[in-house]
Amino acid sequence: MLKLGLRSVLAHRLRFVLCTVAVMLGIGFVSGAMIFTDTLSTALKKNFAGSTADITVTPVSALSDDTGTSSARPATLSSDLAHQIAAVPGVAGTDPQLLTTGPQILGSDGKPSDTYGLPTYGAGWPHDPRTAPFKLIDGKAPWGEGQLGLDQSTAQREGYELGDKVKVVTPAQAVTGTLTAITTPVLAGAAAGAPLVTFDPATGQRLLLGGPGWTSIGVAIQPGQDSAAVTKAIEAVAGKDATVRTAAQVSADGKNALDDTFGGFSTVLLMFAGLALFVGAFLIVNTFAMLVAQRSRELAMLRAIGASRGQVTGTVLAEGLVIGAIGSTLGLLLGGGVAAGLQFFYQRLDLAIPTAVLQISPETIITCYLLGIGITLAAAYPAARRAGKLPPVAAMRDDAMLPERSILVRVIIGAFMLLMAATVYAIAVNLKGLPAAVLLGLGAAITLLGVVMTSPLISRYAVRGLMSPFGRKAPVTLGRRNAERNPRRTSATASALMISLALVSGLVVIASSAKASVDKGITDAIGTSDLVVTRDGGNPFSGQVRDRIAEVPGITSVHRVRQMAGKVGDTSVRVAGVDEGTLDGPITAQVEAGTVSGLQPGQAIVPRNLARTLDLSVGKAFQLITTTGTHRLTVAGVIAPNRQLNAIALSLPGYTAIGGAASDSTLYVEVADGTSIATVLPTVVAKLQDYPAVQVRDQQAYAKGERGPINAILGVVGMLLALAILIAVLGIVNTLALGVVERTREIGLLRAIGMDRPQLRRMLQVESIAIALLGALLGLVIGVLFGASIQQVMADDGLAVLDIPVLQLVIAVLVAAAVGVLAAVWPSRRAARLDVLRAIATE
Amino acid sequence: MVAVRTVGVGKRYGGGETRIDALDDVSVDFGRGRFTAIMGPSGSGKSTLLHCLAGLDRPSAGQVWLGDVELTRLDEKALTHLRRDRIGFVFQAFNLVPTLSALENITLPLDLANRKPDREWLDKVITTIGLGDRLNHKPAELSGGQQQRVACARALVSRPDVVFADEPTGNLDSRSSADVLGFLHRSVREFGQTVVMVTHDPTAAAYADRVLFLADGRLESELPDPTAESVLDMMKQLDAHEAG
Ligand SMILES: Nc1ncnc2c1ncn2[C@@H]1O[C@H](COP(=O)(O)OP(=O)(O)OP(=O)(O)O)[C@@H](O)[C@H]1O
Ligand SMILES: [Mg+2]
Repeated sequence: MLKLGLRSVLAHRLRFVLCTVAVMLGIGFVSGAMIFTDTLSTALKKNFAGSTADITVTPVSALSDDTGTSSARPATLSSDLAHQIAAVPGVAGTDPQLLTTGPQILGSDGKPSDTYGLPTYGAGWPHDPRTAPFKLIDGKAPWGEGQLGLDQSTAQREGYELGDKVKVVTPAQAVTGTLTAITTPVLAGAAAGAPLVTFDPATGQRLLLGGPGWTSIGVAIQPGQDSAAVTKAIEAVAGKDATVRTAAQVSADGKNALDDTFGGFSTVLLMFAGLALFVGAFLIVNTFAMLVAQRSRELAMLRAIGASRGQVTGTVLAEGLVIGAIGSTLGLLLGGGVAAGLQFFYQRLDLAIPTAVLQISPETIITCYLLGIGITLAAAYPAARRAGKLPPVAAMRDDAMLPERSILVRVIIGAFMLLMAATVYAIAVNLKGLPAAVLLGLGAAITLLGVVMTSPLISRYAVRGLMSPFGRKAPVTLGRRNAERNPRRTSATASALMISLALVSGLVVIASSAKASVDKGITDAIGTSDLVVTRDGGNPFSGQVRDRIAEVPGITSVHRVRQMAGKVGDTSVRVAGVDEGTLDGPITAQVEAGTVSGLQPGQAIVPRNLARTLDLSVGKAFQLITTTGTHRLTVAGVIAPNRQLNAIALSLPGYTAIGGAASDSTLYVEVADGTSIATVLPTVVAKLQDYPAVQVRDQQAYAKGERGPINAILGVVGMLLALAILIAVLGIVNTLALGVVERTREIGLLRAIGMDRPQLRRMLQVESIAIALLGALLGLVIGVLFGASIQQVMADDGLAVLDIPVLQLVIAVLVAAAVGVLAAVWPSRRAARLDVLRAIATE
Repeated sequence: MVAVRTVGVGKRYGGGETRIDALDDVSVDFGRGRFTAIMGPSGSGKSTLLHCLAGLDRPSAGQVWLGDVELTRLDEKALTHLRRDRIGFVFQAFNLVPTLSALENITLPLDLANRKPDREWLDKVITTIGLGDRLNHKPAELSGGQQQRVACARALVSRPDVVFADEPTGNLDSRSSADVLGFLHRSVREFGQTVVMVTHDPTAAAYADRVLFLADGRLESELPDPTAESVLDMMKQLDAHEAG
């Protein structure tokens, strides 16, 4: 049977190419993701091995997600602790280290150096070079405030050489120092690959931490000592404010952190893979159905000469096996290429991602073959089963037809699924927040399946309506009838496009609603502020910025907002300190309960959405945990959800009282009536020359900046769209091409009685457009419905406004129609080339 | 008046050892308003000749004239339009487009040419095939004989200069054959249509005004005003000649 299958694949080479391409694309993404992840973790394991101190002591942070965007002082360990640990029996020596994020390196043009989204690290020069995460490769260690060191990549990128003056902005202040040291990372730790500025330890403490302290203490143990016992002893000394980890634990934690960073990438790749395989499966189902239909007489002949049902089914499945195997093999190769490309790309970025030879593990190969062959076989099975059911007499009949199963059962199941989806939607819309969104996703998936099931019925009626604007000329009528001829096939082909478009239009609606919500949130929340001052990445900046802006003539007020991370119970929250009066104008807050002015230390304002999650109301007390400890606060007021203040807000003195640092995260600037913003802005910018990272923007520019991340998401959506459409186009091309082969005699007849080539082309185009439009419109309706309901349930969580981008969606439909035209090009060229006489003579 | 004329038409397939002369120097005239039958043993070149006459195939030598147009000089597009407007063709089977109804199949050549059917003529043709209320049925719902009559009607609908039919009754029983042949016969008698038909059946040939006999790609002989008996006689005679 395998032999027959192989023969058939060879005989119909061309028809299988498209199927194989579909399998290849899907498996390509799967294997790409797997190979990339494996390679990365192998490299990390290699680099982590035995490269840190025997034991590392770090401060316990109250917050697991204490990121650089907090203006709270990083938690530190004291020098005293280092001395105490040194006295522990079995310890050979200690090495206090200083490594933190937050400074910013400026290029020679005065602009912040591009970090490709990585945080910039600042470090104190190590006491013991062997345990430091970086090493000196040129120059000498920096000394005093006037000297500093840079990592090699940053120095090269910015064109700095030893002896050059380099300007660095730290959370405390801006400093200029002479470049005396060039460093390179030695470990694949957190700071590897990221920009790094180094100072001598004392200067580092002052500039980076704003006071004495260390961010970790490396411990070397005496030879022959049991590290577990020493660890225990150190734990006893350090108390519960410090974590003590062995080298093995540190490297495992570090690897996990990096895995998290790059895991997102693999997830995106796997998403693409899933889509490619899912859409590809439709293509395979269709191709096999058509191949079996075409070969029905040959297969019936096999039955007539004694092949059993199982054997006939087997020949068809064997073809699936061959395609699955070839597609998976090509996909693996493609995946290797994808992974190599990713690695190359990261290295070009100079991020010092540790390298290793591409890791193609047996698991990857097995997974890919199982997936590729499994999906192909599953998709080919329905056709194979139908082939097995062919009665042997079909070989003798002229019009050998496959037994057509009634679509009734299918449609009933589909209708049931649609009903179920409607129920899920109804339940979800009444719920709110993330769980509802997840439920909606489920509902959308069921809807898609339901529509796929009922689509033969839908296509029967929809095609006619869709094609009516194209007139009733003969080629149009013929093309439309061809699309109507086999509703199963038309709908399966259209389904591939439908799924792609549903996904894309849903995401587009969500993204554009998010954009509109940002805009509305900003206009609603920024009342009288004319300018908004922020730093890149939401990082805090020096309090001097406010004072300098306040000096500018024409500025009536500058209100500051400070922010840090905190926790209430298990919920991560933002904590804000606001100037008195900020909420009465610069930020427009709608007070829902209590008061927002005249806050005393210990009193807090909570937005409604947070109040609901934390179960808080006016007068209630709660415990807020920050890096500086646990604080008891009382709710003084509840405000409506506010884009600019999605945090537990305290008065500025109250914020300082719980240990908030004196650096600001946002300033709201009001310009005097009658003074134009355009005239003030240059003066303000000029005043802030020492703070190049600080951005001063009017409302519009600020809103535009806030929309940036959404645009990035839309970029990914765009790529998804391109991929999905590519596969859907393959599907349409395949269906049309097979349709041409199947209808060879009919086309010959049409040509014989006088259909010219342009008319033939038109006929196939119409069929193709009918399929494409059907898929596009169904997908669009499902996608928009899904997007709109997501907005409904997420109205309080950042999607306040529903925005359906009609123009973009219309364009999507037009693109679909164009895709229809394009997909018909190749099949119609083939059809036009058919020799009339030979076509008529074919069986 | 001559509707179609060939001058020294030859058709050669392949080359070297496997060379086949399907047609060899065939020169023949087909008179307007006449019903001509072409007969001959299998492989004698009947279909090939018909295809060359109808502009479906190009001879390797000689000329084919339709009225004053030389088909052998036309390009692909002109030939297609000529087939559409001036030639009708009926095949042995699979004549109809399965997605179109009988009526739509009949008017298809006109639709392709973007021409309005001449109502009176269309009605006449439709009445003659006697399909009655089955006109709106799809081909799959019609019997073989009915399908062939629809195909004949389609061949006639554009009032072509000539209708070619290649074994139009080859797949039919005698009753249905009689219907189809009667229809072709009437179209010649009543409407002055020119018909050229290939057949193996002496009874069918008897409907014609004249029978041509082909053998090995050559025009062997012809018989005016045939009857079934005279055709059979001629066939026996030619067989004997062949054998001898
Ligand atoms: N495309 C082709 N390639 C090669 N030889 C061909 C081709 N078409 C026809 N022939 C040969 O040309 C000769 C004439 O064929 P043709 O089909 O005209 O015969 P016919 O008289 O119609 O026979 P039948 O009565 O069986 O239909 C035959 O020997 C046939 O094998
Ligand atoms: Mg023949």
